[in-house]
Amino acid sequence: MSSEKLVALHSSAVRRRLLLGLAGGGISLAMASASAMRAGETLPVVATFSILGDMVKEVGGERVSVTIIVGVNNDAHRFDPTPRDAKALLDARVLVLNGLDFEAWLPRLAQASGFSGLQVLASEGVKVRRLGDAGQHDHDGHEQQGHDHDADPGHAQDARREAGHHHGDADPHAWQDLSNGMIYARNIAAGLARADPRNAGYYEGRAAGYVARMKALDNEIKAAFAAIPRERRRVITSHDAFGYFGDAYGVEFIPVAGLSNQAEPSARDVARIIKIARDSHISGVFIENMTSPALARQIARESGAVMGGTLYADALGPADEPAATYLGMFSWNAGRLLYVLRPRKD
Amino acid sequence: MSGIELLYMPFAEFGFMRRALAGSAALALAAGPLGVFLILRRMSLMGDAMAHAILPGVAVGFLTAGLSLTAMTVGGMLTGLLVATLAAGVARLTPQREDASFAAFYLVSLGVGVLLISLRGSNMELIHVLFGTVLGLDDGALLLVSATSSVSLVVLALVFRPLVMECLDPLFLRSESRMGPVVHVVFLLLLVMTLVAGFQVLGTLMVVGIMMLPAAAARFWAVSVAGQMALAAGAGVFASYAGLLFSYYANVPASPAIILCAGIVYFISVSLGPQGGLWQVVRQARARRLRFSRIPERD
Amino acid sequence: MAASPKARDDAFPAIELDQVCLGWRDKVAVRDLSGRFPQGSLTAVVGPNGAGKSTLLRGIMGWMSPLAGRIRLSGRPGDDLAFMPQQGEFDRGFPVSTRDFVAMGAWRRVGPWRAFGAAEHERIDAALQAVGLGDFGRRPLATLSGGQLQRALFARLMLHDAGIFMLDEPFSAVDRATTDDLMALLMEWNARDKTVIVVLHDLDLVRRHFPQALLLAGQGVAWGDTADVLTPENLHLARHLCAGDYL
Repeated sequence: MSSEKLVALHSSAVRRRLLLGLAGGGISLAMASASAMRAGETLPVVATFSILGDMVKEVGGERVSVTIIVGVNNDAHRFDPTPRDAKALLDARVLVLNGLDFEAWLPRLAQASGFSGLQVLASEGVKVRRLGDAGQHDHDGHEQQGHDHDADPGHAQDARREAGHHHGDADPHAWQDLSNGMIYARNIAAGLARADPRNAGYYEGRAAGYVARMKALDNEIKAAFAAIPRERRRVITSHDAFGYFGDAYGVEFIPVAGLSNQAEPSARDVARIIKIARDSHISGVFIENMTSPALARQIARESGAVMGGTLYADALGPADEPAATYLGMFSWNAGRLLYVLRPRKD
Repeated sequence: MSGIELLYMPFAEFGFMRRALAGSAALALAAGPLGVFLILRRMSLMGDAMAHAILPGVAVGFLTAGLSLTAMTVGGMLTGLLVATLAAGVARLTPQREDASFAAFYLVSLGVGVLLISLRGSNMELIHVLFGTVLGLDDGALLLVSATSSVSLVVLALVFRPLVMECLDPLFLRSESRMGPVVHVVFLLLLVMTLVAGFQVLGTLMVVGIMMLPAAAARFWAVSVAGQMALAAGAGVFASYAGLLFSYYANVPASPAIILCAGIVYFISVSLGPQGGLWQVVRQARARRLRFSRIPERD
Repeated sequence: MAASPKARDDAFPAIELDQVCLGWRDKVAVRDLSGRFPQGSLTAVVGPNGAGKSTLLRGIMGWMSPLAGRIRLSGRPGDDLAFMPQQGEFDRGFPVSTRDFVAMGAWRRVGPWRAFGAAEHERIDAALQAVGLGDFGRRPLATLSGGQLQRALFARLMLHDAGIFMLDEPFSAVDRATTDDLMALLMEWNARDKTVIVVLHDLDLVRRHFPQALLLAGQGVAWGDTADVLTPENLHLARHLCAGDYL
């Protein structure tokens, strides 16, 4: 540019006009983007763990953007929040949590992040089960089936204490019963509707469809388990997370501690599991895949039970596997159990 | 339950206890004699270093084929030999001494191994490699341990004379025959083979324990090499038995329990062993003092 | 007074050296050594510290290749070499009985696997007797005194039944009685036509018992009859060549 033009630019008149033009352009840009956000805006929601996260995605559809705090590879019982989680929480307008003391780390995180949005208690209205309930009797008959875990409460205690549960506490794993899952879905829908009334109808419609699918699956599973003789419906798990499942579908879960999350078991732990498996005529053993598979195979061999593999208790499976969604996870768990429990032609 | 029954009941009742005993006893039978030679050749720490050196081979086997016995064994053997060869090469061609070069190589090897395992597996799987699964020995593992031990014992018997000579007077052996280096290599092979088979039973951390502790203890009881070998094997088997019982009754992890029992055997040997044990030393010192006190004083 | 030389066959020396250089790349220990050890000779190899005496023996054993020159062995059957290196190169605390230790000497006949026959056991017993350790067979090696250990080493060497015996300082740190006994043994072997070469420091011993001597000081200073070799001038020269301080 020639020096004359430069001088001209600096003249006050030109400057004033330029500034006005810029301001005007800036304001219209801002307004345009604001209206753009409103038109395709998604509701930012934070779910505490993967199962809730999936449910929120189902109910909220494309109108929500979900962030999950405890991913599939972490343990919600032992989770330690990071600053990134605090930021995610702060940016959200809705927080969906399980409750029932499942997320011990949440109150502090919520306070630290300064979250001011809506909190949705997913388990509101659920009939709560207590840990240590011998609530695994079948509805028909008072048959005593040699509950070894009653006779030796120490074992079950260990399992629960390991997972941060204590005898008499509320059992937080309510989602393991599809009837509760339906309650969860409705609560989530109601919460989303409250936070985003414009899309309330959308959310309720989606929830209804979701609940219908749950109902269908629930009936299917109930029928499948009912078809199996009762004395075969007994398994060992290493994690006391399936109480609701057991009550709902008539399966007896005997939690035994000492194998998962441990560097090396003692001979007594292994012997105890085998003994329980033998004496209670356990059909299957489900031990988290943390344990050495060699050990798991040995237990199966000696107790006559089948190694069931993995059951998803507190989290979904990895992204491209069937158990990556709540319904998928349920089908998977039920499928594994059915496979293990079905009568063997020996 | 009577006291005697306590001693065998867990093994009678549970298959996994019998297998654990079979596996660790088989391992101890070969590891003990090998340990005796390690000590005689002043390679005691080398055994431990070798156990760490084979880790990346095991890790690579694990990464490529999961928890496959063959893959991990082959991997372990290759790495162990590679580390030994490289260390020996550096020691021969540069001013660095053999123990330093070996230390350098095995540490690098260990780091690589831990890295590789953490890449794919979770920490749990690393821990299983480190601690073994003596309580979960399946047929494949049992077979491997038994076969390895048998081969080791047979080979040891074959090369016994030159091996002893090579430990006792390598220069003499060199003047008589060329078997020296061959025997050295064979011994290293046996060592690596036993370590690799043993890590399934006791894990890489503890397998050296069952090799060195009974051997170190045997020295306090036996005067000949063969005697020490036999005692080391026996002590190892006993430690396995006692350790498993201890794990059962005291509810503690199995492989450390076995090693602790071996350690107790060692301490008893150090204290009470007739060949230079502490009690002997004290007794002899006292006897000597007594003798001197009896010498009449000159007036 | 040295006994008359027993060398009989000059045409076929037991060992012949031709301009031999022995050493390592950065240090030559023996330079341009030529000479011969006649059959059945009894030679002492002497010289200051660092003269290359041990290196010479190792070179003859074949443990080091000559940097130059040639070492020729007579190659006759029964003229194999037996070598006793300086003490301290084996593990004295090793858990082995004296008898087993001595038995190692039979390696060339027994090898790594063959069993020890009755004849072999007799030879071992004879060797132990000859060195005065007849009752020591069962004793652990670690319990032997310095002198007894040296006798055991001699017994082991005897078991070889070799034709040429080479010993590197066999009498250092050994008491007088043992030295005398073992020296007598060496002379007995020599009397049986064995070629004996011994590295020694004790010139008195050399003058008394050895008819031949080789004075080494990094190179050959003198080689021949002891009286001719161990002259003051030669010794002086050797000391200077090696800057040694032993005479």
